[in-house]
Amino acid sequence: MIARSLSPAGRGMSGEARQDPLVESVRGGGRVRSPRDLVAGASLVALAAFALWAGADLDTGQLRAVGPGMLPRAVAVLVGIAGLGLMVASFLKSGEALGRWALRGPVFVTLGVVAFGLTIRSPGLVVAGPLVVLVGGAASPEVRPRELAVFAVLVTAFCIGLFRYALGLPIPVLHLPGIFTL
Amino acid sequence: MSDLVPNLALGFSVAFSAQNVLLAFTGCLVGTLIGVLPGVGPIATITMLLPVTFGMEPTGAIIMLAGIYYGAQYGGSTTAILVNIPGEVTSVITTLDGHEMARQGRAGVALGVAAIGSFFAGTFATLVVAALAAPLVRVALLFGPAEYFALMVAGLAFAVVLARGSVPKAIAMILVGVLLSSVGTDLETGVERMTFGWAPLSDGIDFAVLAMGVFGFAEVLRNLDVNERRDVVKKPIGRLLPTRDDLRRSVAPILRGSLLGAALGILPGNGAVLGPFASYTLEKRIAKDPSRFGRGAIEGVAGPESANNAGAQTAFIPLLSLGIPPNAVMALMVGAMTIHGIVPGPLVMTKNPSLFWGVIASMWIGNLMLLVINLPMVGIWVRFLEVPYRLLFPAILLFSCIGIYSVNNSVSDVFLSAGFAVAGYALLKLGFETAPLLLGFVLGRLMEENMRRALAIARGDLAHIVQRPISAAFLALAVIVIAMAILPAVRKRREEVFVE
Amino acid sequence: MTRTARISWKLLLPLTAAAVLSAGVARAAYPERPITMIVPFAAGGPTDVVARIVAENMSRTLGQQIVVENVAGAGGTTGILRGAQSAPDGYTIMMGHMGTHGAAPAVYPELKYDPTKDFAPIGLAAGTPILVVARKDFPAKDLKEFVAYVKANSEKLNEAHAGVGSVSFTTCSLFNSLLGANPTRVVYRGTGPALNDLVAGQVDYMCDQIVNLVPQIQAGTIRAYGVALPARSPALPEVPTTVEGGLPEFQVSAWNAVFAPKGTPPEIVKKLSDALRKALADEGTRKRLLDLGGDVSNVAAQTPEGLQKLVESEVARWNKVLKATGQAK
Repeated sequence: MIARSLSPAGRGMSGEARQDPLVESVRGGGRVRSPRDLVAGASLVALAAFALWAGADLDTGQLRAVGPGMLPRAVAVLVGIAGLGLMVASFLKSGEALGRWALRGPVFVTLGVVAFGLTIRSPGLVVAGPLVVLVGGAASPEVRPRELAVFAVLVTAFCIGLFRYALGLPIPVLHLPGIFTL
Repeated sequence: MSDLVPNLALGFSVAFSAQNVLLAFTGCLVGTLIGVLPGVGPIATITMLLPVTFGMEPTGAIIMLAGIYYGAQYGGSTTAILVNIPGEVTSVITTLDGHEMARQGRAGVALGVAAIGSFFAGTFATLVVAALAAPLVRVALLFGPAEYFALMVAGLAFAVVLARGSVPKAIAMILVGVLLSSVGTDLETGVERMTFGWAPLSDGIDFAVLAMGVFGFAEVLRNLDVNERRDVVKKPIGRLLPTRDDLRRSVAPILRGSLLGAALGILPGNGAVLGPFASYTLEKRIAKDPSRFGRGAIEGVAGPESANNAGAQTAFIPLLSLGIPPNAVMALMVGAMTIHGIVPGPLVMTKNPSLFWGVIASMWIGNLMLLVINLPMVGIWVRFLEVPYRLLFPAILLFSCIGIYSVNNSVSDVFLSAGFAVAGYALLKLGFETAPLLLGFVLGRLMEENMRRALAIARGDLAHIVQRPISAAFLALAVIVIAMAILPAVRKRREEVFVE
Repeated sequence: MTRTARISWKLLLPLTAAAVLSAGVARAAYPERPITMIVPFAAGGPTDVVARIVAENMSRTLGQQIVVENVAGAGGTTGILRGAQSAPDGYTIMMGHMGTHGAAPAVYPELKYDPTKDFAPIGLAAGTPILVVARKDFPAKDLKEFVAYVKANSEKLNEAHAGVGSVSFTTCSLFNSLLGANPTRVVYRGTGPALNDLVAGQVDYMCDQIVNLVPQIQAGTIRAYGVALPARSPALPEVPTTVEGGLPEFQVSAWNAVFAPKGTPPEIVKKLSDALRKALADEGTRKRLLDLGGDVSNVAAQTPEGLQKLVESEVARWNKVLKATGQAK
């Protein structure tokens, strides 16, 4: 594991990774000096194209009666331009490499949240709570299954007590259609 | 003005009754607890607890609801600082430096400064409301759609300044945020925009869903990405309360933030949203070392939090003096008052002075309560950070999911936020910042609506809009702010290139 | 054969009796848990306020809390659609109004519900009369002058409304069409902001529910030209009716009514309907509604059958009006 110290500069939201010898700048691959910016710019262009396509049938209107399409189209074009600019800059200015994209984290967290969504209405929080904690918790390489299981039950119970009973939030705790509703 | 003291005296006599003090306390406490829940902001909280107030007499009910409002705002700031999840739009700014401070083991200091700053801002704002309500309303009425449009453009410009890293990427994110804000049913024509006929999207994307996904969940993903233990947790928690030095540095930002927040909060139509933005931008601009911002600068918490609270209080002015609610929360207050038999309007001040002044006085009491409740609780909140991350983040996931679901009782919201989580993670990996995205999202819709309104009234005459004095001033401000943001960045870029 | 038949008969009768009784008991036990009332607008608005006032009283009669759930969007149709698609077990009801159950089919061609068919009507709650109001320095003394001015200068005027499908939109569509007026229609996110701009003088006139406007008119920040009722409203006795002002065709009430999804058992419908009528007859509740300017005089529509008739006639009416003005799509 590579130790990374929290320098006084800290880590901004952009998550600029400062270091990682495992993923050094890829100097090969032609004259692309910032692979990350290339992909970033390309994503923006793709998003812009998608937005333009999605809003193609919207009426732009005129200035005195601006239609629903005017702003989205204008902004989408601007986003596309920004993307193109980034792509061009990626050839001119050196920047970060693409970095390693973890799979475990996103997969488990997403699955956990989705599992919550699928189970919250029925059977309810009693199942959805532990599910999201267990599945989501598996995203961490340091997970300790038994500890997590106990924690899942405890924290779900706490949530039920606090939100449903103490504060009166209408969260479905246990709803088995036809049999039982809490 | 000469009536100010006797009026306030009346107000305090009403507000200090044992029952009303208790109601204020309960409101603040409950509001804070629910506001801490990620995804549940003041609106949801007040809506949930509105029925509880039915049995009470009107003044007490409003006092309690107002307490819930402030509490929920503060609770939202707490989550913003601790876990980088903005409970409310106005807390997004707080995440920038507040969470950084938490990562550096200074969560207690951040929370403390936020509480203290909010108290002073609240006191200041209460005086403003008491003394200047009537004249200020007249100022607010000068703001028409053209002025709001210009104000929102200025806000978007401020959002550029917030960028910690690459300015062009921040601008791109703001634009993407604006684009996302247009998803949904168009207000004017009823046409669906970019919803692909999917019903959950027909009212647009909920701020909480977007914030939770792109900010909260993505942050969790990013932390999991790091191939090491979470340092923040292991770092000694350190001081729980701000040092003298911290306080010294915060005084000026608190004062400036209070002024800005109070001024912007008066504007009907959600002017209060801009308070924290403007404060952060100002502080960053005048700081001797702007690069500290985004890395845990205490001014970046003190100013915006004060602006936040001041704005929340002065937002009552259009409500109390005109009877017209300036935002959704105040609309709820109107509903609450109406249900209790008081129809808010310009005459409430004269027809029902004990209500009017009682509410104003209880604003101050509410702020005092917040301080009393939250300063001791700082220790408790900070302890949460000591929980090992492998357990903390699943708990965050659970709380967030509950929060998202409870906003609209909608399962699709939960799924949407999962989608945004993945998108947010991708954005972070590609070097984008997500705060500008959120800000663009919030302001984009407001900007577009006002632009279309202004153009409709002006019959398409753009020049007419630009020529109005107030809107011209804000537009000019926007241009200046952006220029000032881009120039140093260009210079810095050149330096960076040389360094490498 | 006969023996089996006798045995089966012996079993069948008590079994059937038990089934019927338990079903009856189960139904008689309604409601056994809180009921959700969907209000398809943001909390604090006129429909929401009416709903909460009525629900509070109904809760007491029914013995279970009626929890108001605000599901705003698309002029109220989002919330109504959700209500229409809920299980017809009496635990989800909704507060619809003139827009969602009257004008909606004309305004939203892809509307996914039919107000006349997809619901079990419970009863009319309260109507709120419509007022024509203008900015305080509008150059007209009374409704006649106002109408004349608007007819002559409509292209230059700005009319505020709260969005396609909202009450302010549909009622002013009628108003404009009666006058042949063609103002620029400026949209706001709710009547609050619209009212704000009217007070500020940024827009010229608006048609809205009396609830929101009373305090402003009393304070003189806006001018009221006429109330669309046959008789003056007790909340605003100085404002003449449209009949008095020379525009008798403009009679509109933004009615609010309670609905349940289609297929809700008749006993449950009856229970809800009785509770509603009881609430409307209750002194305290009535007073609160009347203080708001609400109108509870249409007793005939407070029954399920009466409400169904009202819905059918309103759908037809607004269909005609909105198609005529070309506002319907």
